[in-house]
Amino acid sequence: MADAELKQKVEELIGANPVLLFMKGTPDMPRCGFSMRVVQVLDSLDVEYGAIDVLPALQPLREVTAEISDWQTFPQLYVKGELLGGADIVEEMFDSGELAEALGVEQPEAVPVPAGDPPAQSPPLQIE
Amino acid sequence: MADLAEIKQMIEVALPGAVAEVADETGSGDHLQATVAAPQFEGLSRLDQHRLVKAAVKQRFDDGTIHALSLRTQVPG
Repeated sequence: MADAELKQKVEELIGANPVLLFMKGTPDMPRCGFSMRVVQVLDSLDVEYGAIDVLPALQPLREVTAEISDWQTFPQLYVKGELLGGADIVEEMFDSGELAEALGVEQPEAVPVPAGDPPAQSPPLQIE
Repeated sequence: MADLAEIKQMIEVALPGAVAEVADETGSGDHLQATVAAPQFEGLSRLDQHRLVKAAVKQRFDDGTIHALSLRTQVPG
């Protein structure tokens, strides 16, 4: 049974933010690869969004989103009050252009490049 | 450490007629990747398709065997 007060707060946030991301960490410092992928997609679409770090209250928030949206894993992207999906669905919808449509923005022409600093002379090391 | 064959079987038993491919995404044994084609997906949103698969393997999430399951779902062609 989810905490009623927390649930109400979450519902208010979802209602008040047209694009809201529940994630592990922050957009500047994602603490999970899946959350990072969603941040990169949103940044490449250049949309404004609210972000909530779930880590400080992971278990209570899981219980809340299980009740609200029947979904317990993070990240979760809400658009206009509805759960769109986690990282897999968001990426799939981005690739197909459905995400840009749902957000009312233009699909970028090129492959998504994470926003932020322009690429330096050598790309940062990545472990894949 | 998840048993990939067991996860595949759990999905295919819960969704009769489904074909699931399960892989260990990171080599850690608890971040898995699955591609699932199931006739039950017909007419469902991606969210609901994912919900069906997650429900099928819920036990392995609950007992901590799996931490993450990356999913691609499709209706069989």
